[in-house]
Amino acid sequence: MTAPAIAARGVSKSFGGVKALTRASIAVARGSVHALVGENGAGKSTLIKILGGRIAADEGSVETGGPDLRIGTVFQELTLLPYMTVAENLLLGREPRGRLGLIDRAAMPRIAEAELAGLGITHIDPRALAADISLAERQIIEIARVIMARPQILLLDEATSALVEREVAWLFGQIRALRDAGVAIVFTSHRWGEITSIADEITIFRNGTDVGTFTSIGEDEAITLMTGQALETIFPARGAQPPGPVLLSLRGARAEGTAPLDLDLRAGEILGIGGLAGHGHRALFFGLFGAPGFREGRIEREGRPVRITAPWDAIRAGLALVPEDRKSEGLFLPLSVRDNFTLPILRRLSRLGILRLGAERATVAESIRRLAVRTPSAQQPVGALSGGNQQKVLLGRWLLTRSRILLLYDVTRGVDVATKHEIYELIAGLAREGYAILFYSSDAEELAHLCHRVKVMRRGAFVAELPADALSAEAIVAAAMRESGKTEIPHAA
Amino acid sequence: MRALSVDTRRILYAIIAAIGLFVVGEAAHPGFLSGPSVASILVIASFVGIVAAGQCFVILIGGIDLSVPWVMNAAAILLTTTSLGKNTGAPEAIAAAIGMGVAVGVANGIGIAVFGIPAVVMTLAANGIVEGLTLGLSGGFTCSSCSSYAPPLIQTLAHGTLLGIPDALWLWAFVTALVSGALAVTRFGRATYALGTNPLAATLAGIDARRMTILLYALCGGFAALGGIMLVGFGGQASLGLGDPYLFTSIAAVVIGGVNILGGRGNYLGVAAGAVSLTVLVSVLLALSMPDYVRSIAYGVVILALLLAYGRET
Amino acid sequence: MQPDAAALPRGSRLGHAIGQNIGLILAGAILTLAVAGFLMVYSIEQHRLPGNFELTSTVNNAIPLVFAAVGQSFVVLTRGIDLSVGGVVDLANALAAVTMGKSLGGALLWSAVILAVGAACGLVNGLLVAFGRLQPIVVTLATLSIYQGLAIRVLPAPGGAIPPAYTNLLVNPNAPWALVYIGLLILAWAAFRRSRTGVDLYAIGNDEASSRALGVRVLRTKIIAYMLDGALAAAAGLFLAASATAGDATTGNSYTLTSIVAVVLGGVSLFGGRGSAAGAIAGAFITTLIVNILFFSHVNPLYQSFYEGVFLIVAVVLGGAIGGAIRRRQ
Repeated sequence: MTAPAIAARGVSKSFGGVKALTRASIAVARGSVHALVGENGAGKSTLIKILGGRIAADEGSVETGGPDLRIGTVFQELTLLPYMTVAENLLLGREPRGRLGLIDRAAMPRIAEAELAGLGITHIDPRALAADISLAERQIIEIARVIMARPQILLLDEATSALVEREVAWLFGQIRALRDAGVAIVFTSHRWGEITSIADEITIFRNGTDVGTFTSIGEDEAITLMTGQALETIFPARGAQPPGPVLLSLRGARAEGTAPLDLDLRAGEILGIGGLAGHGHRALFFGLFGAPGFREGRIEREGRPVRITAPWDAIRAGLALVPEDRKSEGLFLPLSVRDNFTLPILRRLSRLGILRLGAERATVAESIRRLAVRTPSAQQPVGALSGGNQQKVLLGRWLLTRSRILLLYDVTRGVDVATKHEIYELIAGLAREGYAILFYSSDAEELAHLCHRVKVMRRGAFVAELPADALSAEAIVAAAMRESGKTEIPHAA
Repeated sequence: MRALSVDTRRILYAIIAAIGLFVVGEAAHPGFLSGPSVASILVIASFVGIVAAGQCFVILIGGIDLSVPWVMNAAAILLTTTSLGKNTGAPEAIAAAIGMGVAVGVANGIGIAVFGIPAVVMTLAANGIVEGLTLGLSGGFTCSSCSSYAPPLIQTLAHGTLLGIPDALWLWAFVTALVSGALAVTRFGRATYALGTNPLAATLAGIDARRMTILLYALCGGFAALGGIMLVGFGGQASLGLGDPYLFTSIAAVVIGGVNILGGRGNYLGVAAGAVSLTVLVSVLLALSMPDYVRSIAYGVVILALLLAYGRET
Repeated sequence: MQPDAAALPRGSRLGHAIGQNIGLILAGAILTLAVAGFLMVYSIEQHRLPGNFELTSTVNNAIPLVFAAVGQSFVVLTRGIDLSVGGVVDLANALAAVTMGKSLGGALLWSAVILAVGAACGLVNGLLVAFGRLQPIVVTLATLSIYQGLAIRVLPAPGGAIPPAYTNLLVNPNAPWALVYIGLLILAWAAFRRSRTGVDLYAIGNDEASSRALGVRVLRTKIIAYMLDGALAAAAGLFLAASATAGDATTGNSYTLTSIVAVVLGGVSLFGGRGSAAGAIAGAFITTLIVNILFFSHVNPLYQSFYEGVFLIVAVVLGGAIGGAIRRRQ
């Protein structure tokens, strides 16, 4: 192999005491595609940011194969400016100049349109505001912007997360063309099928460091390397308890963007909801929780109809929602572990509005112990905890409400393997105790191993129900995309 | 010893700043730290402090109340006109004035929480509306039949002392205990901080954000009205510009008291210290017979200096 | 990728133009209504249509606010706010009154100096916001007090003098010549909008973190925004002094709040990134016309603030509702 186009050597990085990378190294050759694979939190995004020069490493070095190589990065978080047009976003910093050296605003849509057409994109209107196009289209524009800058090194962090098959095919076409033109490409994805179809080399990450680089590797072996254990041992045994009474029913409940939905959730069961992102899962979960409520249809709590138009209605009806984005939707990062735990149950912990601090302290201590939250004290700001421990605080908050119906919305996202395992055990245990759990996950593997049955959503409707004996990640994914006949395997997403 | 949290440190800094300014005053003008001098400064600080209590509530949820000046003016005028300067109507007049302040606050809260009007715009408009209504209904505050004096009872209270301590300070101490207690150990306080930190997460945790917002603006209006009543009791006579300085002073007291202008962080103890600091500063400059403009400039410079010293975004 | 059935239909160019400029269009609509209202009230009252005199006096009354509001809009577009506008107007006004003397030449020279002082005031705000990591509202609250103090130091009591020739040049009482300055302001804005800094300004208001990732020069652009704001506020002070033919170090105070009102009525989002100086200009005229309408409809002047407040709330709520409805229809 010739000198690499870009290489990281022994790179480490910490964020506020949490180690994201520990002496990680990779080397990427000119004209090759290098995939980084690993669990969430394994350090891939951090490494991409360091390679792209967005953040500096605490130790170690990044070397490029020549001076002034142009590096282009597509970040996981989209950076399009919402109230500027697609054309303005694409041409930001290289706007066409007209008379007097002023930007020729009138010409911008035309130029953007031509450049997009050059990349084979003809369905996105350059005159539209970035806020007004779909998530997938925004991701495509984000990628197009970076490619248009003619990078010699291209870094793509989860660039396909919002794309459907046809769009992924487009992206891979672009990647192959760039590779053939000598561009070095680093690529992260959670979809195993994508990785094997495009990568020349695969480096596997675990706990912030690289644990092996391969030109070809089987999925099972990769998973074992990524997680440090075989797939079967990560998940608890599925409880085979007989299902209890129906605690929650939906009859013709329709949220914004979904069909009327019917559903029965029983005590003691984990009912999985699967399907590709953006197909109405969020509307279902947030509709149940009144944020905002369903537009029509009925919700029944143990056979009695309940009205849920706001979260406090849902809490009163004995529901609890753990959202996916714990930082923006769940936690109060600067506030203490204690404050985060007890907010929904303060009524119980107070008399005439005044808090019974002793009772609260005992409750919080008990929760910290029960969930094994690793925190120096209950006074610690929750933002200083690791992602997994933050998630435990959020789960623990809702267990304190004594709600018997848990709506868990992609709760293992961005959580390390060890904590994931603890959360799986916790969820399985709760089901055994008689909790009714509605469980959405973007990870089909997780659904297949944890749930008693799985309903698959597509375009806002339930399109399949898989009983325990028919459950597998492949079956879930197949049901989610039966129309397109696509065969990717979402993995550990 | 456990390291103090950023918030606790800020409150300490605010208190240290207030004490430091007292010391500077004593050095510049001996006698500044005498009992009567300190008491009179604290009494004036209490007006700022009480108005700032309300401002503190709304800033804690990332809001702001620009309607404070005319709520204060209106409360003062309402008090003097409805009581006709007599003791018999005093309790009703006080209730009416505070009720008016609360009503304006409720309207602000509804405009912000229900109609989604930015707080700056809503409270600015409310200030104009209260101004117009006050001037219009009172006929430009010139009606001859109504007295422009506060009832003697209120004046006596405003100037009286209990156990050698001015009544105004007792009231302020009570307000301080109430507000800090409410923020620290009640459901209301926890909900306020939660809402100021992350409104979406607060709503998903079952907090009624609209109701809380309306409640907090109502409290702000009520405290502004109380400030107006105290001022008119202290000065004896209502005047139109009486509340004007309290808009910027109340906001300044809140921010140098360590409350984050974006919401979610801070406590009333720091705000009270901030109110004292600002009042001491003005008093020092007055004692040194500094002209108005020096006071104005020093005010701005000291606020900036204190903020740069400890009020940075974390 | 080829467009397929699932691809969204393209909006028409006109549709995009309306959807993306809804704030400005609504401001234009409100301005039209305000003009119509003024014409109606005036003609009922005076039994004739307003003429050159009314046009001239309206323009001359509005122009300080026009400049202050455009200045404010620069900062608001970065998602900031400038409470010190009133202080800078005061300072410029006071400086004009004490420095200009009798000759037009001297007055023009001093005008340049005063604009530079305004820009320096803005520079202080900008440095504190950009490097001091303090919130704009807090910084400008403090500098407002400082600039007001300086203004009173410069001109302790109303007075001083402005050369009549200067008044005639800036706010000619006989014809609406001041419209020329507004025309120049719009041209300058259009050029700014088409400069690197103009694009960066909008980018910051859209999303500061993303802008930084995209190579936008955030600190520099913010500082420039505050400097332009300061210079324009100083220009407002000059126009104010020219109108009054003398100085007063306190008349500018009200411009802090009225400039914010004008910006809001002009469809500039207080959350940054959306709106334009043209909107701010429209907002300034709306604000001025409302005062005229109230005057000619013989509303008790004591109630004036009441009606202004109600108008502001109604305009913001209705504007938001109509704008939202149009955007949803697209």
